[in-house]
Amino acid sequence: MALRELPLRTAVAFCRDARPLLHAIRPLSCRNASTDALKELTSSSSFSVPPPSQELAQGYDPVARSRLRRLKKRGLPPSRYQYRPPKYYRGPLHPHQPPPESDPSSRVFQPGPFSIPRLEETYQSTIASDLLTLTYMHYPPGWRPEKIGQRLRTWTGDSPYFKNRPLRPPRGSDHLRLLNEARNFRNIPKITKVTVHSMVPEAQDNSAHLHIAGMIVQAITNVRAVAHKAKHNVVGWGLREGKYISVTADAEREDAYHFLAKLVDVVLPRIKEWKGVPGSSGDGSGNISFGLTPDQVSLFPEVEINYDAYPPKMIPGCHITIHTDATSNKDARLLMQAIGLPFYGKLND
Amino acid sequence: MSGQQTSRRLAVRASQYICRPCRDTISRNTYSTAATALQPDDQPLQHIYPVASATPRTSYVVNTGVVLSRPPQITRDLHPFESAYFLYQRRLNERLALPFTRYFYIKKNTPADIEWKRKLRQRLTPARDIGRYKGYGDEAWNDEALIGASESQVQWQVERLLDDAEKTGKEGEGEGQGEKKDGEEKEEGGEGEKKAVAPTTIGGKIIEHEAFERPMSRVTEADLKGDLKSLNRQLQRTLYLVVKDKSGQWMFPQDKMTKESLHVAAERIIVQSGGINMNTWVVGKVPIGHHQVDIPEESLKASPNPNELGYKTFFMKARIMAGQADLKENKLGLEDFKWLTREEIEKAVTFDYWRSVRNMLGDR
Repeated sequence: MALRELPLRTAVAFCRDARPLLHAIRPLSCRNASTDALKELTSSSSFSVPPPSQELAQGYDPVARSRLRRLKKRGLPPSRYQYRPPKYYRGPLHPHQPPPESDPSSRVFQPGPFSIPRLEETYQSTIASDLLTLTYMHYPPGWRPEKIGQRLRTWTGDSPYFKNRPLRPPRGSDHLRLLNEARNFRNIPKITKVTVHSMVPEAQDNSAHLHIAGMIVQAITNVRAVAHKAKHNVVGWGLREGKYISVTADAEREDAYHFLAKLVDVVLPRIKEWKGVPGSSGDGSGNISFGLTPDQVSLFPEVEINYDAYPPKMIPGCHITIHTDATSNKDARLLMQAIGLPFYGKLND
Repeated sequence: MSGQQTSRRLAVRASQYICRPCRDTISRNTYSTAATALQPDDQPLQHIYPVASATPRTSYVVNTGVVLSRPPQITRDLHPFESAYFLYQRRLNERLALPFTRYFYIKKNTPADIEWKRKLRQRLTPARDIGRYKGYGDEAWNDEALIGASESQVQWQVERLLDDAEKTGKEGEGEGQGEKKDGEEKEEGGEGEKKAVAPTTIGGKIIEHEAFERPMSRVTEADLKGDLKSLNRQLQRTLYLVVKDKSGQWMFPQDKMTKESLHVAAERIIVQSGGINMNTWVVGKVPIGHHQVDIPEESLKASPNPNELGYKTFFMKARIMAGQADLKENKLGLEDFKWLTREEIEKAVTFDYWRSVRNMLGDR
């Protein structure tokens, strides 16, 4: 009985939440049948009021006003500026719901973006259209490529156990590779994420290594670093299970673009005899990774500015993985080359 | 935010339970569904690449055109709303971020430390480009820029960064530019604190700051002169090479194709029109657009080859890396050239031409 009632209840709860939102998205400027009636009710709207005069704007001092109010012991009217989101989430049926993440009053609100990265602008204005031209495949009208049907293999044979079995993965692999769809303006490869990873096995004996690695990874990516434990004992690498050995930081959007721009424009050109990213890099689904040695990491401007603050022996190397939404190594490499990362050696296709 | 997701999921699930009259209305067959249902999935669409017949009765002359462009060189100007938004977010960040870890970057009791303290007293925040604002304390709510304030402008922020790098924050040194403008100078003992400014020489050490190079102007000489032939104009926009042919028409450089591919023809046309003093790259081997001109019926009868119905121009995309066009030795009979932005091309070319080329030119 209770189960049957649940959808109705949830719908009611949802509606209750949605009410303030509905109120907010109804601007007074839109013309409905009720607009005129509304105008009769409310004599003025904020859209029809002219902006304040120049003198008023010049003389307005919010801090002085608030000080005066405090001096006279006259606080703000109650119930204003007092909202705090609930500390714990008590389920969808609780009347006190937390605000959305994008609301500055939310406890998990993250401010940003703070700028439009230069690399992102270059991508939008130049790189994306060039990639589209480079990888475009023309389909004449009246023609389309053959449809790709079921890619998983079926179980063929007389065995009664084959009935209703899940389909078999492709030969030589336990998973399906990504499909390369025809290129169009909607699926131009773009950078989705940059992961910086630094493994310091010495941290098992002296945790200072892990702290330094975390500080450096955080400084160069502008993202809080996360520490990871060893999952297994690996004698060859001297790893013990359950010990913290590495840090990673996932930079997305603005951070990712700033990091890549810094890498391509500042750090890599200063590395002596850097050959480029190995051509064998790439996992076949659009992710490219390469490594930097400790002395290359110390070329980052964030590390260089207070190089003395880090113990010189403890500066770690790192692995950088650039995640793109390309579906093949070739496309991912093309995007990397367009933003200025050269490749060398045998290419991995 | 698990709560949001759960409620959304529940709401989605709730939407499956629709009362019968509503469901009947939703699943009603409309004309559009009938139309889509009628189309069988395996239409006469072929999987074999179509090949044109070898000897067509009528044909078009095929031209190759080159859209030679110079990509934007600098970032675009921000819309005032964008810059105001970014300032708002930066100040929000100032309120929410943990305090700046000062001693990790500046050693205690060093000249740099004293300078830092002095500067912090002036601008109240470690961030150098968000104006005089303090993210902590009773008045942290006062994060909105007032009408006419210049804190959100990029130019103002660049100036503040340069000031911070060049100046020591001594009394009377960095003033008259940033701090006085925002009209908050008079508040809270700022004057009294400034009197206690430390001297510049500490223990015989003098802090000296080198002068930094100013960023170059975003508006160039060519912009001011209105020089349409310069590649240094309109740095924020893509510039396209357009040429004037014998008949006085402005268009992208183009020529009849001989027995060669589009890609090779494009490279040839670049050299034959703009000369060899251009470092160019033809992007890809496929055209990005086409323009078709049909010869009118009456003149077709009079023409020597009535089977040629007109001509089609296929445009190849190319980028210029360095150099400049020079029409002195061009072999296509061109008279003049210009580097134009998208909007300027619209005014220069005929409407028919513009209608076929406009969609291959980018917004910026």
